[in-house]
Amino acid sequence: MGPLIPNGVITGDWDFVIALIIGIIFGFLLESSGFSSSRNIVGVFYGYNFVVLRVFFTAVIVAMVGLLYFDYFGWLDLDKIFILPTYLTPMIVGSVIMGFGFVLGGFCPGTSYTAIAIGKLDALVFTVGLFIGIFIFSETFPLFQDFYYSGYLGNVTLTDVTGIPAAWFAFAFTIIALASFWITMVIEKRVRKNITEYKF
Amino acid sequence: MEINNRDNNRPHYINPYLGGVLLGLLVIITVYITGRGLGASGAVKSAVVTTAEAITPAHAESNPYMSKFTGGDHSPMYNWLVFESLGIFFGGLLSGILFGRLKKIRIEKSPKITNKTRLIAALTGGILFGIGSQFGRGCSSGAALSGSSTFSLGGVIVMLVLFGTGYAIAWMFKKLWI
Amino acid sequence: MNKNYIFLTILMILLAAGTLFLDNRKDNYQIKPEVLLYEIIQPTRYVTTDQVAKMIIDKDPTLELIDVRSPEEFDKFSLTNAINVPLDSIITAGSQDYFGLPGVKVVFYSNGDICADQAWVLTRRMGYKDTYVMKGGLNRWIETIIQPKEPPQEAPYTDFELYQFRKGAQIYFTGAEIESTQVKKKSSVKVRRRKKTVTASGGC
Repeated sequence: MGPLIPNGVITGDWDFVIALIIGIIFGFLLESSGFSSSRNIVGVFYGYNFVVLRVFFTAVIVAMVGLLYFDYFGWLDLDKIFILPTYLTPMIVGSVIMGFGFVLGGFCPGTSYTAIAIGKLDALVFTVGLFIGIFIFSETFPLFQDFYYSGYLGNVTLTDVTGIPAAWFAFAFTIIALASFWITMVIEKRVRKNITEYKF
Repeated sequence: MEINNRDNNRPHYINPYLGGVLLGLLVIITVYITGRGLGASGAVKSAVVTTAEAITPAHAESNPYMSKFTGGDHSPMYNWLVFESLGIFFGGLLSGILFGRLKKIRIEKSPKITNKTRLIAALTGGILFGIGSQFGRGCSSGAALSGSSTFSLGGVIVMLVLFGTGYAIAWMFKKLWI
Repeated sequence: MNKNYIFLTILMILLAAGTLFLDNRKDNYQIKPEVLLYEIIQPTRYVTTDQVAKMIIDKDPTLELIDVRSPEEFDKFSLTNAINVPLDSIITAGSQDYFGLPGVKVVFYSNGDICADQAWVLTRRMGYKDTYVMKGGLNRWIETIIQPKEPPQEAPYTDFELYQFRKGAQIYFTGAEIESTQVKKKSSVKVRRRKKTVTASGGC
């Protein structure tokens, strides 16, 4: 009965071995899908390469639907899993800042690790930037400590907030994602007509 | 350091939908085994705390943000995300070798700008992303991907606002890329 | 390639639509009747008043006493640190947090046996383990702990040992008890509730 480690089915000593293996698979999937290239990643914003959208949305809908089936079959207890806590305003502000960082840097932390692995110097610089950024944050933390903890809604799920069962969100999101796949296929064709390179 | 010149052989990537399905399955398996999703920025945070502890232990202890992670028997590096991130690096390495993308050190950018510009942008982007990820309680893998998959409100918010902002401001930095 | 994509799109829509029809079986979970029958006849689900007294005196942290009588009866007299969950509230959603705590032994008691037994059956049917009934209830408690009877001269030595223990317990409970009924109004019983959401830690 999942989740295995919190339920004691697998002891905690395996924790880090499992983390390593999961990370390896994650990194492999990221790199082989094209996320080790910053120009591929930002293509989603300019319309010439929607790989980020395809991989990301597909992963989310597969995971959402899969988790619901796992819960239904009794393999996984969805009440016991970690739900990201919601701090409304800081998260919105943080996401805006991350948006800027994303477009400027062309990476996010996970993808930058894979890009470093294949030799991209800009990814290394990006990761150094991450380090500096977090350091700056922790040094200036007392200034906005209250803001950091504001807007706390708890470890809430979409269902907790709206009362709509999770399956509806999964279904709605699936429809939106699938529609976006077809639409972006058309957009990609049009944008790529004007440029020569779009896959890096 | 050379510019990544794209030649006639475009790099071979797997079908993105296949990658997405496999990634989704990986999220499910990760949640099934560990009760949590994936993540990436947490490892850098651990690195910052470890470095600060090593250089100025007293200062790290007194810092209200870092003190949550200092002390204890293990070094802050001895945690799940750090090992997972190490795995991400090796997974990327494996894939790079397999698909022939492991080449000499290079910088990737639009031909219209200089290397220096790209590196400055990367550094700035990293700094901003680092700061933002602490407020957001995660990055695109941890908060947006895993958070949304587990139906958490915070995850969905981060996903929408992160990519929404990206779309809103991308035109300002178009020259960096194409 | 397009045909494959169309097929996959339809497949995904069907799978996602399927989730809409999954009913959450969790709310109706019951253990099998054979299991319940087997467990009902086990004598090990009963604890004696002496055992309960010992656990209270030892301040055993795994003990959770649940008084299934009405609130009025509970206020008049109850065992140390007992929680009042009236029988008709045993299966409500709000009471579920008292059960299923790992490592905690739940002991039901009432004036006699019957109500506590019923509470045991109800909770065991829902799947909660580590639940017990105090045999004889409070009536027996008064007989053995509050007013223990000295065994006759011919009784075996063990009976005298038990009597010594009960005398000690009597002093403990009746001596301390007077204070506790007064104090009870002021201090609140610290109740452990099962945490609903986060048992795995995480973050990024």
